[in-house]
Amino acid sequence: MRAESLSRVGLLQGTLDLLILRTLLAGPAHGHAIAKNIQRTSEDLLQVETGSLYPALHRLEAKELVAPSWELSEKGKRARFYRITPRGRKHLVAERSKWDAFSRAMALILNPVDQEAQ
Amino acid sequence: MKSFFRKLLWLTQRSHREAELHEELQFHVEEETENRKEQGLLDDEARWAANRELGNLALVEEKTRAEWGWVRSEQVVRDAGYGLRQIHRNRTFSAIVVATLALGIGGITAMFSAFDAVLIRPLPYADAEHLVMIWDDMTGKGRSGHSPAPAEWLQWRRHNAVFVDIAATQPEDATLSGDSVPEQVRARKTTANLWSVLGVKPLIGRTFTEEEDEKGVRVVVISHGLWQRRYGGSPDVLGRKIAVNDTSYEVIGVMPREFYFMPARDIDIWVPTSFPPWMRINFSWHNAQVVARLKPGVTLSQAQEAMATLSRQVTAKDFRGPHSVVVKPLREEMAGKTQTALIVLLCAAAVLLLIVCVNVANLLMSRGAARGREVAVRAALGAGRGRLVAQFLTESLVLASFGTVAGLALAMPAIRFLETLIPETMGIVRLGLNWHLLGFSAAVVTASTLSFGLAPALRGSRLTPQDGLREGGRGTTGARSHWFQHSLVVIETALAVVLLSSGFLLLQTFERLQHTDIGMQREKLLTFETPLFRYKDFGQQVAFVNALVEKIRAIPGVVNAGASSRLPLQPMDPNATFYLLAGQSESSILGQVALIRVVTREYFSTIRAVLREGRFFEISDRRSDSPVAIVSESFADRNFPGRSAIGARFKFGELSEKGYWYTIIGVVKDVREVAIGEDRRPAVYRLHDQADQIMSGPSGFVVRTTVEPGSIVSAVRSAIWSVDKNQPIWRIQTLEEIVDQQLSMLSQSTVLLSAFALLALILASIGLYGVLSYAVAQRTNEIGVRMALGATSGDILFSFGKRGLVLTITGLAAGLVLAAITSRLMTNLLYGIRPDYIPTATVVSLILMMVAALACFVPARRASHVDPAIALRNE
Repeated sequence: MRAESLSRVGLLQGTLDLLILRTLLAGPAHGHAIAKNIQRTSEDLLQVETGSLYPALHRLEAKELVAPSWELSEKGKRARFYRITPRGRKHLVAERSKWDAFSRAMALILNPVDQEAQ
Repeated sequence: MKSFFRKLLWLTQRSHREAELHEELQFHVEEETENRKEQGLLDDEARWAANRELGNLALVEEKTRAEWGWVRSEQVVRDAGYGLRQIHRNRTFSAIVVATLALGIGGITAMFSAFDAVLIRPLPYADAEHLVMIWDDMTGKGRSGHSPAPAEWLQWRRHNAVFVDIAATQPEDATLSGDSVPEQVRARKTTANLWSVLGVKPLIGRTFTEEEDEKGVRVVVISHGLWQRRYGGSPDVLGRKIAVNDTSYEVIGVMPREFYFMPARDIDIWVPTSFPPWMRINFSWHNAQVVARLKPGVTLSQAQEAMATLSRQVTAKDFRGPHSVVVKPLREEMAGKTQTALIVLLCAAAVLLLIVCVNVANLLMSRGAARGREVAVRAALGAGRGRLVAQFLTESLVLASFGTVAGLALAMPAIRFLETLIPETMGIVRLGLNWHLLGFSAAVVTASTLSFGLAPALRGSRLTPQDGLREGGRGTTGARSHWFQHSLVVIETALAVVLLSSGFLLLQTFERLQHTDIGMQREKLLTFETPLFRYKDFGQQVAFVNALVEKIRAIPGVVNAGASSRLPLQPMDPNATFYLLAGQSESSILGQVALIRVVTREYFSTIRAVLREGRFFEISDRRSDSPVAIVSESFADRNFPGRSAIGARFKFGELSEKGYWYTIIGVVKDVREVAIGEDRRPAVYRLHDQADQIMSGPSGFVVRTTVEPGSIVSAVRSAIWSVDKNQPIWRIQTLEEIVDQQLSMLSQSTVLLSAFALLALILASIGLYGVLSYAVAQRTNEIGVRMALGATSGDILFSFGKRGLVLTITGLAAGLVLAAITSRLMTNLLYGIRPDYIPTATVVSLILMMVAALACFVPARRASHVDPAIALRNE
């Protein structure tokens, strides 16, 4: 229950792209694997909806941040694998530092340690 | 660019991509199923769970495809295609919608073309928005039209701080002779700086210099038209000596074809003003038109203020006391009353378009309800709300596009008609399709599509699939949709009432003006002008005019003939002067202004003026030091209220010792000298034989005939040429033609507004009819039940009829209130005539109620004739 509500609030516009790119750093993966990976790594806090995942993948593809190719899955079925492109890596680095700055700022505001100390 | 080609590439691989996407999602489902099975679910359960997790597969596909780009435009193309098929399937419905839209769009497009030409398109001067005209404000009412004096112009030019420069022009008539047949042309005297103020250059040659103007050098600038017509467009016209009023002038420049300037579009020659010394100091000689260019950064109101102050200083010592001035934008002066007419008509066209949109929205809404099932199926198959709205809007756009094409086809003949609305002070404009117009109609289509398409689209797409798909479902009816459609009917009724009332007010004004007593008998009166400058000697002039009159009278079919220094109903340069009654001190002269006319003995009997008191001029009135005068009734009323004016003496024009004292021998009912729509203006008439102290001779002739006036024109011409073969005659018109011209703007506005109003009435009643018919069709079952339960057909008729009438009366009330406000805004167009609003309101209410009753009665009767057995069997 908790996870579901979080996934709705948690996935801010644009963050899904970031999560996908980060996941693909580990190596090429198909859509289902990406979704499961995000879910697992976030300890089930984030659940990626299929309705958002595939549009996001195709959007990244259109921007040439990921490149698709048809390969065989571990179970031997044809699946569309996505690989992060050099452009995607650059984009990830840039977006990531933005996100870091943003989350630091949020943390500073939400946990004002210094002020409490005074 | 790269992404463009990629998209293009994708487009070619479209079906392949679709298959891939499908496979990709299929793989996702299978993988998810496997996962669930590993968690211990059975085959089927696992598959269902996986499908549930995925949600609406089609929708996911659709959303993903949307990321590919091109999809939007593809959708539009597909929807447009679907819209076309819909039009084909519902031909009658579509024809009605397209025809309605064509009326609305065509109307506003045509009106806009005229509006654009008169009020938007740039005038042929540099930075025309900085040009203003300056008028004397003698009445203190801020009205323009009172000509300043050249003496004032000199002072203003010297002392003002708000204008780059100020130029002045004066009226002039010119006869060209010598080089070929004598020709009378429109001319204007102008100061040398007119062209620099306007920022225009001659096509060839030059314009005159300040020095030439002051020294009175005889040079002339001619129009492109005259150059082509009389001098064959040859460049060696420059330097040529031409005879203007028998004086030799040198042509120094030709203006470009598109050049024109106030007060008329067809001025052919411009000569230097060369003000004589007395005119430079005489503040009573008001016959100039003054145009000025604002300094950059100076606003109109700043200029107005500065000039008002300056003018009061300049005229501080004037015996009539100081007066202010009015500064008006040039464009406004040129457009004149047409401006108001165009604004009113454009608003009317906009209102009509609004009614059209409301009507079409209503029609679409009714049909949208019938399409509930289709929408439900689409929604169930995965169409999102936005997608459905987009589809509805695209369909509306297709309809609107057809409407526009049809509308433009309708607009073209209307535009031809509107060309005649362009005021005479502006250049001849060919109205037609141009980028302004196309841009405008594109904007109109978009706006109207949104306004008539959005409401039905939002409503139509709101449906939830379950409701729509349920067997026997009744679509989208509900209290809310009735409420909305009813308000639309009320709105369009109200708007139609506004248009109808405005149309009636204008019609009333037109009727009244047309039947205004102009103090003359209109029928069978021929008028023309012939210049008298060649007869400068007073005695010769009298003899010449009398000889002409005698010759014309001798023509068969002519009853009588006469002449006046100015033909009646001439709005330009009205020719007025101050007067002083015997016994008055000079200070009382302020505000004592009368039109002055010099007439021949038979003038009044020729125009059939009505004598109120005393007598007309007689043969016994000979040249003497104690001349006689006839005054207008308004002159007598103003100066001799309640007593006879006969025998009273006054001076005018020449007020000094030398001036004659005139004795009033007769009072005539006011003759409209200036314009039909104007207030009555005091006028003084003198006999030509006695008018040796006046410069202007009777050059405007009137001929009363028993035959058709047009048939004697050639006879009149040869009569004149038999006296003097070099005498040009021009401006040959009947009095009825002059009257028609004066009323043309009003009559056209009236015709247009009435047409708009009529269409509005028809559309509003169609709207009412449509809504009621729709309600009847939808409630057939209910009516059946009610009748089965004992309601009489009378009850049903009453219940539906009442509903329609309530809507009508609500709309009528709202409309009458709006119309009362509108009529106030229209007063300028109504020539200050205060039309009776009550009869208008009564007539409009009656017409509307009658039409509405008919529109209600037909569907209501249909409802009352429902056979309960049949209605209920359908259930």
